[in-house]
Amino acid sequence: MKPKTERSRELLLKLMATPVRRKYFETLRRMLGPTGVISIREEQFFLVLAIAIGLLAGFCVVLFRVAIATVRLWLLGSSMHPGWPRVVLVPAVTGLVIAVVAVRYFPRVRGSGVNQTKGALYIYDGYIGSGTVVGKFVLSALAIGSGQSLGPEDPALQIGAGLASAVGRWLKLSKERLRLMAPVGAAAGMAAAFNAPITAVLFVIEEVIGRWSAGILGAVVLSAISSVVVERWFLGDEPLFRVPLYRLNHAGELLAYAVLGVVGGTASVVFVKIIKNLRPWLRRQPQWSQYLQPGVAGLLIGIIAIWHPQVMGAGYEWMDLAMHNRFPWELLGILAGLKLLSTVFSFATGTPGGLFAPVLFMGAMLGGLVATVEQQMFPAIAVPVGAYALVGMGALFAGILRAPMTSVFMILEVSGNYSIILPVMICNSLSYLISRGFQEVPLYDLLSRQDGLDLPSLEEDRELAILRVEDAMRPTMGRALLGDEAIGSARGIAAGTQETNFLVSLGEGRWSVLSREALLDEANGEAEPVRSLVRARVPRLYQDQSLEVALRFMKERPMLPVVHRGNLDLLMGVVSVEDILRAYRRAGLAEPETAEVS
Amino acid sequence: MSDETAICSICRQPLGDDGRCQHCDEDAHVWTIGDWRPLLTLALVIVLGFSFTRLVVSNFNTKQAALASEYLAAGNRAMDSHDFARAVEAFESALIYSHNNFQYRLKLTDALVASGATSEAFAQLQDFREQRPEDAQVNLKLARLEAHRQHVDEALHYYRNAIDGVWPERSDPEPLKNDVRLEAAEYLIGLGRNDEAEGVLQAVAAVLPAASAEQGKLAGLFIRNGDAERALDIYQEQLSLNKNDRAAVMGAARASFSAGNYAMARRYLEEMKPKTAEAEALLVELERMEALDPFAKSATGRVRTERTMTAYRIAMERLAGCGVPFGQRMTGAGKATAPKDEAQWSGLEKWAEQLSPLMSEQKLRGRDEVIESAMRFAFQAETATQKGCELPATLNDEALLLLARERLGASQ
Repeated sequence: MKPKTERSRELLLKLMATPVRRKYFETLRRMLGPTGVISIREEQFFLVLAIAIGLLAGFCVVLFRVAIATVRLWLLGSSMHPGWPRVVLVPAVTGLVIAVVAVRYFPRVRGSGVNQTKGALYIYDGYIGSGTVVGKFVLSALAIGSGQSLGPEDPALQIGAGLASAVGRWLKLSKERLRLMAPVGAAAGMAAAFNAPITAVLFVIEEVIGRWSAGILGAVVLSAISSVVVERWFLGDEPLFRVPLYRLNHAGELLAYAVLGVVGGTASVVFVKIIKNLRPWLRRQPQWSQYLQPGVAGLLIGIIAIWHPQVMGAGYEWMDLAMHNRFPWELLGILAGLKLLSTVFSFATGTPGGLFAPVLFMGAMLGGLVATVEQQMFPAIAVPVGAYALVGMGALFAGILRAPMTSVFMILEVSGNYSIILPVMICNSLSYLISRGFQEVPLYDLLSRQDGLDLPSLEEDRELAILRVEDAMRPTMGRALLGDEAIGSARGIAAGTQETNFLVSLGEGRWSVLSREALLDEANGEAEPVRSLVRARVPRLYQDQSLEVALRFMKERPMLPVVHRGNLDLLMGVVSVEDILRAYRRAGLAEPETAEVS
Repeated sequence: MSDETAICSICRQPLGDDGRCQHCDEDAHVWTIGDWRPLLTLALVIVLGFSFTRLVVSNFNTKQAALASEYLAAGNRAMDSHDFARAVEAFESALIYSHNNFQYRLKLTDALVASGATSEAFAQLQDFREQRPEDAQVNLKLARLEAHRQHVDEALHYYRNAIDGVWPERSDPEPLKNDVRLEAAEYLIGLGRNDEAEGVLQAVAAVLPAASAEQGKLAGLFIRNGDAERALDIYQEQLSLNKNDRAAVMGAARASFSAGNYAMARRYLEEMKPKTAEAEALLVELERMEALDPFAKSATGRVRTERTMTAYRIAMERLAGCGVPFGQRMTGAGKATAPKDEAQWSGLEKWAEQLSPLMSEQKLRGRDEVIESAMRFAFQAETATQKGCELPATLNDEALLLLARERLGASQ
């Protein structure tokens, strides 16, 4: 009988017989390392962690939604139409309690949470205090459950980000990774709250990260998906509202949708302008009034709700009814207006809660209103109220939150109907353009500036003129030296120019730079190839790359070659630091590092 | 980008000339899991989080379900007490706690229809239908709603869809389908589309079990559709199964009566002991009609001519009583001045002029076509004056109208 170790060795060799198996074993060996301890790169671990964050954020958001519903049941009762004493007193009294707790103990939980999360990413190295998470959870549940006109999505986003930040700190992640934990958690929180992972990912990219970053996309997507899985596991995969089926019967209907885009854009401007003026005014009031403001907002909402209880809370059940043609046009108009007022009261006074749901509510009502009015004016055109309500949501979202990509994909994801894309794109574009035309700064940027923060914005990034290598490069004086040509021949070329540095083509797309001194050094024989003088290769650039990229590669190098993408040995020009700075000066921009400061 | 311009996969900075990152210490970014405790703790937190969330959500769902049932019961009570607005509110509240419950939604549409919000109900049903085009319940409700809105073609379309549709699981679809067929047939009879109704009724008769409680309803609809013979067959079959079935006896009497077989009708009615009020009333009707019906099977030639002349006289008296003296058109009490009425009176006048010289025992004897024409004239005169004349009809007029209905069917 063979000894045990020999049998094991044979078994191992047998298992490794095929290339595929050998690959697995190689991976495992690398992971285990020489000491047998598992070691994986942080970026790989980060993806695993994103799933864990998604699961934890999913649990938190499920509990958050249950908490909101429970608070509502306790405070307002189970009926859709609570009695007026409750309607008036509950939001007012709860508002007072929230204000005291928020001002004294959790000052960072006031408002929506989107800017705080963005601030954590860009200012506080990914730090969101655990107290903020607890405060946001409790106070937002109280506010929304008691009928303040706010939604759960933005708080869920901050809760998810805070949770991710806490886990990242606990695991002692590097600063770079810790900074990225906030958006990963934010996407998870948002996805679970809105039951829409694509919307959450896009919203986090557009509003929180503020720029497209491939490095974090994988983790954001994984966390969003895992949190939605948790949410659906516990609360089912029922959508927040039932979306009626839609089909475009005639291209002429698109004109009718354009009207909705104009109405949505106008309403967006009105909403943002009111917030822009009212919020700073309320903040300028004496400190003691901060304790009263959410209560007063609650009282005003309560008074409105005596006649129109629809304005209380997130209002998804009412959006559902509006989508199913349950309200006459007069009521739709009234509800859109009153919801705008109620949301302004709640949000401007710093009550914790989000804008996502109220914006959708206003959009649904305005969409329904435009549809019913058009139905009466043009009975020949098929005007499906449900589709208008849905498209209206996207229009207000694009106009108020100024996240155009999210607004389009949100409607597609919620409706699950690709045929609605044309009306959505037309309507959202119009609303977005009108909003941008009359209100230069997007709402979330406006809010962060009011808070004294200047955070990057995807919209500003889009506006920024991008200078490319072609804007700075200059043609070479004569041809580049070849690696294989004799030094003597190269010296002849150098004698005909005043250049202090020469590019050397080493073949197969490899390049180097040679100084005049090195070339003319008598110690080198004339018959030697130029290649022998080369000490290091230099990176090559392409005409379409941005100057920021060029600067990153420039370092101490006197120049870099700009080559053709189709032929890496074909020199198109050269670029130096002076060329880049000249290009920035020509474009009227300061140095690129400060370009995003408006 | 080439290898020269590659960037560090960790810190996203350009790699150095040697292909290594100069900005970060790569080793610092290798996560070495020598200490398993943080990961185990994280896994434990996830398991605990799952368990806790499950516990909370389970309690929450139980409470939601209880609230949904409570509001459903309240809605049903409100429907029973015809407080439809409250029913709508209750069903809407129930739906908050059981968001996508299809049966609750159907209840809500019922309440909406009952409360007069038909367009809202219709929008809801259309929405359901787009989601579940094959659902029989939705199609049936749509059919009823379209019938209520007098959209005949749409109503019939949805009735057909309901018959061919998918019924809820755990229920035998055949009786439900037969119910819809009978409902559709009744709707067709109401519209006067007797041939289509007959087809539907025959289809039900072919599949309905003999012992089904719906046999009586089927026979009743056959009578209403003018096919009293078929109805009589059904009742007789019922009686062969149970000769003490009083409903079948009454039905057979009515079917015989409608078929003009008064003798048989009388026999069934006399068999019934004790007689119901309905049976008594039918007997009275029977006697009055027997005295007027020239087509009764027991009527001899002489009786037929006498009854025809009587019917003609009653019709002429009715026309005169309603202010239709021929030659002057209807005035006063009649007030039938619409052009189509003018044409109708003119037609009746010409018809009466043709019949008048033939109204003697001698000229009617053996001339069935004249008897037929005279009776049709009498029926038409009674039917025309029934709507336009304010003068109350006599018992004889009513008997003639009944006869007209029996003889000419539902189209009258």
